[in-house]
Amino acid sequence: MSDKKDLGQQAFCEPETPIEWLETNAEDDYSGGLPETPVADTEVSVRVSSTPKKKGFIFRNYDKLDVTKKNAIAGYLFISPFIIGFLAFMLLPILESLRMVFSEVNINWDRGRYALEFVGLRNINYVFRENRDFNRLLFTELRNMALNVPAILVFSFFVSLVLNQKFKARGFVRSVFFLPVILSAGIMLGLETSNSLLRESQQLIQESNAMSSAITGVLEEILVSGGFMGDFVEYVLLVVNQIYNIALTSGMQIIIFLSGLQTISPSMFEASKIEGATAWESFWKITFPMISSLILVNLLYSIIDYFIRSDNSVMMEVTRLMSVDLKYDLSSAMAWSYFAIVIVVVGALSAIISRRVYYYE
Amino acid sequence: MKSGLRQTRSLGGNIFVYLMLIIFGAFFAFPLIFTINNAFKPLNEIFLFPPRLFVQQPVLSNFQDLFTIMSRSRITFSRYIFNTVFVTAAGTFGHIILASMGAYVVSKYNFPGSRFFFKVVVVTLLFSPHVLQIPQFLIMRTLGWVDTFTAVIVPAFAMPIGFFLLKQFMDTVPMSLIEAAKVDGAKELTIFWRIVMPTVKPAWLTVMVFSTQQLWNARAANFIFSEELKTLPYALSQIIGGGVQRAGVGAAVTLFIMIVPLVIFIGAQSNIIETMASSGIKE
Repeated sequence: MSDKKDLGQQAFCEPETPIEWLETNAEDDYSGGLPETPVADTEVSVRVSSTPKKKGFIFRNYDKLDVTKKNAIAGYLFISPFIIGFLAFMLLPILESLRMVFSEVNINWDRGRYALEFVGLRNINYVFRENRDFNRLLFTELRNMALNVPAILVFSFFVSLVLNQKFKARGFVRSVFFLPVILSAGIMLGLETSNSLLRESQQLIQESNAMSSAITGVLEEILVSGGFMGDFVEYVLLVVNQIYNIALTSGMQIIIFLSGLQTISPSMFEASKIEGATAWESFWKITFPMISSLILVNLLYSIIDYFIRSDNSVMMEVTRLMSVDLKYDLSSAMAWSYFAIVIVVVGALSAIISRRVYYYE
Repeated sequence: MKSGLRQTRSLGGNIFVYLMLIIFGAFFAFPLIFTINNAFKPLNEIFLFPPRLFVQQPVLSNFQDLFTIMSRSRITFSRYIFNTVFVTAAGTFGHIILASMGAYVVSKYNFPGSRFFFKVVVVTLLFSPHVLQIPQFLIMRTLGWVDTFTAVIVPAFAMPIGFFLLKQFMDTVPMSLIEAAKVDGAKELTIFWRIVMPTVKPAWLTVMVFSTQQLWNARAANFIFSEELKTLPYALSQIIGGGVQRAGVGAAVTLFIMIVPLVIFIGAQSNIIETMASSGIKE
């Protein structure tokens, strides 16, 4: 056993005798595959110990394990740093706020602590039956989400298709389309609201919105008089009125679609072209299926982004309860009821859509 | 990318593409144009009503004022800049490494609990940071991290959004690529570092842009109380807080703070295009 190991190492050090090395190696592998287990075991352990030492128990026996176990060990090792951070800084606070839902929070201002006293469903009851705004706001936001998210998806998909074409100064133009993400998330919302800049830009945006709704108002009248008025037309006009907001919230989605479009191999398009497919056909048969997993991603991202944006009226109510009224328990209860409803929506949608998603292997 | 289709695009198609780019580009560029113009407006133009988009008589007085205020601050201004750069760089780097390691195994190794963990991550995406502020602060205090950079950097490692995006992108990496590497004798870390990470470069560049943008704008007012540890956005928002007479400076500040994420994005953007040519996913 030790002979073989020495031989192997020696051979490895001396490249001028490659045949010998190959032979030992081949023998190693061969005997490792033999059915006589005791021999096989020793052979395997020789092979492992001749690779760098100083490895723990798991690693010493690593090669003996079957694929499932190997995968599990590697998986847990890889993911554990993220899990630890995630548990400590995301999950723990979330669970703490879940405890607040069913308790009354008594803050001790002098010591900077709080005590929780169990009160059952009182806070939840408050959210749905006593608070006069929650139900109304929730339904408004759900409806607006249902209107906005499809529009965001279509818009960002369309823009990313256009951006994926070849044209001059492509890098620059793409950067322009990502501007709102950089601008809106941080600066516009982050600076003090007393800043006159913000108010002004909001005014300008509202004015331009008012202008566009004046145009669509006229259009609406024409269509109504022409007997065209359907729900669909109404929806389209609503989207047109909101186009500026939709454009500003779809920056991230465009980036996701764009990087997805770029991972599609050009040879697919070449092949389909040789087979005689038109651009229209290759779009529906290649681009669309290849990008379908990212449609799901973007759908989830858009919904979540819409629900937790700080200008969402339910979120504003949650924040107001917490930072103005200092009712942490009621605020947590409202946030959790809201999230529970959103989770149901997201879960249902992703369950429906993920069945139609095509994964390329 | 669609080099085969490009040749068939007609003149009408060209006009259409450019028209769309101009219309939507104007939409997207509007806030930037507004910010840039505002930074060069004299005070009387900033308060003009109705507001004008373009500056009539550009002046540099806003920037002069900003630098005067900066030079008068108690802590050297470069200290604020260093703080923010450090927090952003460390947080983004750690986030990309940890999140992509986790995303890789969740996507490609079917170990017990992996799917459940991913679902938990997706659910936590829904939680707005506002709601978690107080419990998060308590955890920081227990760990003794209050008033250190760690309190800002380490939670950034575990942001669920990067994990989510990376996992979805890694789903598109063909399993055969990883199997081929395994057959050739590559260990898990090698596969991850030499095969998977280069292949999903656009994904982690996207995450990098996103995380940089978030951390760069982090004011970290919840966790950091010492003046010499405060971040740039916090210092700048203090400058703007001076009231109406600081409106011009405010416009300059907005432009000033916007530049870094913008430059990083433009850099990453050109890189994304570059990598796609040699992505290795060719089947």
